[in-house]
Amino acid sequence: MAVMTAPENTPVWVNTDRCKACDICVDACPAGVLSMRPDPHSTLGANIEIVYAEACIGCNECELSCPDFAIYVAEKKEYKFAKLTDSAKARQEAIEKNGYRLPEDWKEA
Amino acid sequence: MAFNYDEYLRLEKMPTLWCWGCGDGIVLKAFVRAVDKLQIPKDDICVVSGIGCSGRFSSYVDFNTIHTTHGRTPAYATGVKLANPDKTVVCVTGDGDALAIGGNHTIHAARRNIDITFIVIQNFIYGLTNSQTSPTTPQGMWTVTQKIGNIDPAFDACRLVEAAGASFVAREAVTKPKKLEKVIVEALKHKGFAYVDALTNCHINLGRKNKMVSAMETLDWIDSITLTKPKYDALSEEEKKKYLPTGILKQDTEAEEYCELYQRIIDAHQGKRAKITREEFDQKITI
Repeated sequence: MAVMTAPENTPVWVNTDRCKACDICVDACPAGVLSMRPDPHSTLGANIEIVYAEACIGCNECELSCPDFAIYVAEKKEYKFAKLTDSAKARQEAIEKNGYRLPEDWKEA
Repeated sequence: MAFNYDEYLRLEKMPTLWCWGCGDGIVLKAFVRAVDKLQIPKDDICVVSGIGCSGRFSSYVDFNTIHTTHGRTPAYATGVKLANPDKTVVCVTGDGDALAIGGNHTIHAARRNIDITFIVIQNFIYGLTNSQTSPTTPQGMWTVTQKIGNIDPAFDACRLVEAAGASFVAREAVTKPKKLEKVIVEALKHKGFAYVDALTNCHINLGRKNKMVSAMETLDWIDSITLTKPKYDALSEEEKKKYLPTGILKQDTEAEEYCELYQRIIDAHQGKRAKITREEFDQKITI
């Protein structure tokens, strides 16, 4: 199998050079891990950012849905992923409502 | 550890030329994962693509690739396969390429049941040339050639190739990337013509003028028109018209494959054929 070494102690990481800011990964995430950040150098004015890495449940949906090979998720046997919590779901909902960006005044419940 | 896609990609061509959020990239990813799962050596695969957004597919994968003329992918692939029967040949085309311009080639490749994996990236529109009606555009949708809404009935491509003689027919949407990967694995493993209908989004040219501005809205629409085969089969005839069944729709492992039949011609020309009797001759003719 074609494998790459993961950065140490990281559940999910991104290659911002490849991201086209299509928002699909942010939409696919169930746990509010990803968000778009403003980026004046990007064509669509945004780029991907990992905001709550510790909440990642390792479902791999973002990696499989990314059309541009920009997101990678660690393997389950190498990293202990979190469980899906209500606060993570609430954050995800807030991100989706706010145009796939984490609200600036966001506070964890 | 994580999956290393770069091993199968031509990195000097990245990033892809496809629009942001284009489902073609998800099909590319599923295909790369499927090839890796089956551990097929890179030199043993030939990817043939035609014209259209899907035509770019062959530029990005680091296999043997050919970027051919419009709609003629099955013709080129048939030639490649007959010359190299032990190699894996994959066609990647779009809905316009495979069903309109190359419709005739597609049905005849299916009729021969030649061992080609035929992936159609179906986005319901001519995306590359900016929104003309394709054979799979749903009725009522706005296109630049049908501005009051498309009046042409849409093709059900899976039923078309099934009737033509394909021995493996499957459909899956990019909204279910894991299932899409599984379907492509099965298609690559199948000996015979394996047709995979990959439903994708074109939010730029289809969605924008049909009230589906973002990639997610177009993907949600695709989700709303697809149902898994068991659920689809349980519906009444009237309700079936609103949905497209997904999953493996046909899998016939018994059907005769074309390369094996062609071997008989090679044997005959090499003088290996035994003399046949009158009875054997009569038995050979099948309708």
